[in-house]
Amino acid sequence: MSSIIANNLLGFVEHAGLTPMVSYRIDRDGHPYVPVGDGGVVLGVHLGDSVFATDTDHAAPGVTLVHPDPGSRFGLTSFACVGNRATVRSGAATGATGSVVGKRGEAGRVIVSFDDETMAALLPGDRIAVHAMGQGYERADLPEEIVLLNIDPALLDALPVTVDAGVATVDVVGVLPSKVAGNGIGRPAHQWDVDLAVTPDSPELDGIDMRLGDLFAVEHLDVRHNMGFRRDWITVGIIVHGGSPMPGHGPGFLPIACGPRRVLQPRATPGESAAERPALTSERLAAVAPWPTA
Amino acid sequence: MSLRTNEDRLVTQILTGEVWPPQADRHGYRVDPDGHPFILPGMGGVTMGAHVGEAATGHASDHLEPGLSIRHAGAEANAALQFLSCVGNIVTVRSGPATGAEGVVIGQHAYVLADFADGALRQVTTGDAVSVEARGQGLRLLDHPEIRVKNLDPRLLPHLPFSTAADGTLEVGVAMRVPAEAAGAGGGMLSEFANTDLMGAYPGLSEDLSLGLESLRIGDIVVLEDQDHSYGRGYRPGWITIGVISTGECRLFGHGPGPSTLLSGPASAFTVLDDPAANLATALTAMGRATTTSTPTTATETTV
Repeated sequence: MSSIIANNLLGFVEHAGLTPMVSYRIDRDGHPYVPVGDGGVVLGVHLGDSVFATDTDHAAPGVTLVHPDPGSRFGLTSFACVGNRATVRSGAATGATGSVVGKRGEAGRVIVSFDDETMAALLPGDRIAVHAMGQGYERADLPEEIVLLNIDPALLDALPVTVDAGVATVDVVGVLPSKVAGNGIGRPAHQWDVDLAVTPDSPELDGIDMRLGDLFAVEHLDVRHNMGFRRDWITVGIIVHGGSPMPGHGPGFLPIACGPRRVLQPRATPGESAAERPALTSERLAAVAPWPTA
Repeated sequence: MSLRTNEDRLVTQILTGEVWPPQADRHGYRVDPDGHPFILPGMGGVTMGAHVGEAATGHASDHLEPGLSIRHAGAEANAALQFLSCVGNIVTVRSGPATGAEGVVIGQHAYVLADFADGALRQVTTGDAVSVEARGQGLRLLDHPEIRVKNLDPRLLPHLPFSTAADGTLEVGVAMRVPAEAAGAGGGMLSEFANTDLMGAYPGLSEDLSLGLESLRIGDIVVLEDQDHSYGRGYRPGWITIGVISTGECRLFGHGPGPSTLLSGPASAFTVLDDPAANLATALTAMGRATTTSTPTTATETTV
């Protein structure tokens, strides 16, 4: 088993962007809407909020980071992993630390969560260092066929994963069928989330209150070499952004583990208490050993 | 019963583009669903040997685009070309030794795709100019207001297996029923642009990848179950989409033969019938625009 390395990367806080002279996007019913909250510094959105709590488009619990050079932006997105620490390097919030809580696809974005005070001090263009580590990680106790991705090793240890008799069981809030997987299918899971085309009344959710940071599983989804349908493969991931009115879009699911069902089994449970909900929470992020910066 | 439309209110716009070269990058390889590397032709440029009515899969190809793959060098002009070109529009070669040759739009795939007979294609190379007689966006079926029509030249409509059923729904013959699980890359994008790659059609790869779609032909009229392409493309229970297969074989995972969208609406507005002959080739032959002289192959019966 190989040891993994770390990268210090640089991202720039994104400015919200819209198509020039087009204020509207079109929702699944053909109605125009102004997209609010789709990247940049978005205040008032936190881990644990319902993905449908606000009338926004892809709103994430943190700031989104980009890079002006497209190749560097793909590099930033590829190597940042959920749970990685991030440090503000310029502007009014210099010195504050936060955590990577997700990524988004296409041109690439990294989502970093900070406390409210830091969020209020950040401006688009601020420089943030991401202490990236996790791609290529293998954990010795997990079945060999399970592939890990996009997850900081220390955070993985804080998530509800158990291994017994060669089978890994992961607690998740819900299990969804692959047919809800929309934008992101056919794209590389190390650089993209996949949007789940669900709305509050979706039969697939069956009343489950999907929240930002929740662990979910998608059945019949293989994400090792692009994301696509493969019968009886399971992908476990984290809900990284909120819903969207656009067809084929919705809450973002960032894969963190993938394997055949016989060795990777999701167990749907909301947890016996809020603290035990199978989710990425600020408490679990805080439990990850901070990067030695001093 | 023939379909009443607003065809008399549509206009034609003449658009131009050029045959766009196939693209590659310095890394060369892509990987298939099992992680095996490949470098294969199919996307962009001039592609011969696979036409409307012929097998979509079984080629050593990735993102197989039959015929000519067309773009405009200007971003806004290209958007107009991609969004306004419709299946059935006439395409004319405007430069080079094939000048004057005519083909037909069979779909979009971030390129406008135009099929021609191989005799004409042999004379075309990348950079040759073409024009498109774009007509069809805005078409409506007056007796089926719940159904959105797009990317469809009204002259093609009478030759497609579409009619009004006795119960007032739109009756559509399809060569294949595509389950929602097959919808791959292209979801979440605009339904006037590119197409929906279908997964589950990887001949020769393992059974756990199959959704029974390996026998698709280029030009097949298909139904996409639980897909709403009215204002984009996405999963929506109780809605269906009718499309025409405009691209073929893919090795890239999450990709595959793809339908360009023609109709979308609530399933209750349609009566869908299985018809192995439901293929664009039949319509093109009726219009005198066939691109191959071979008889369309019959879809292989699939077991359910």
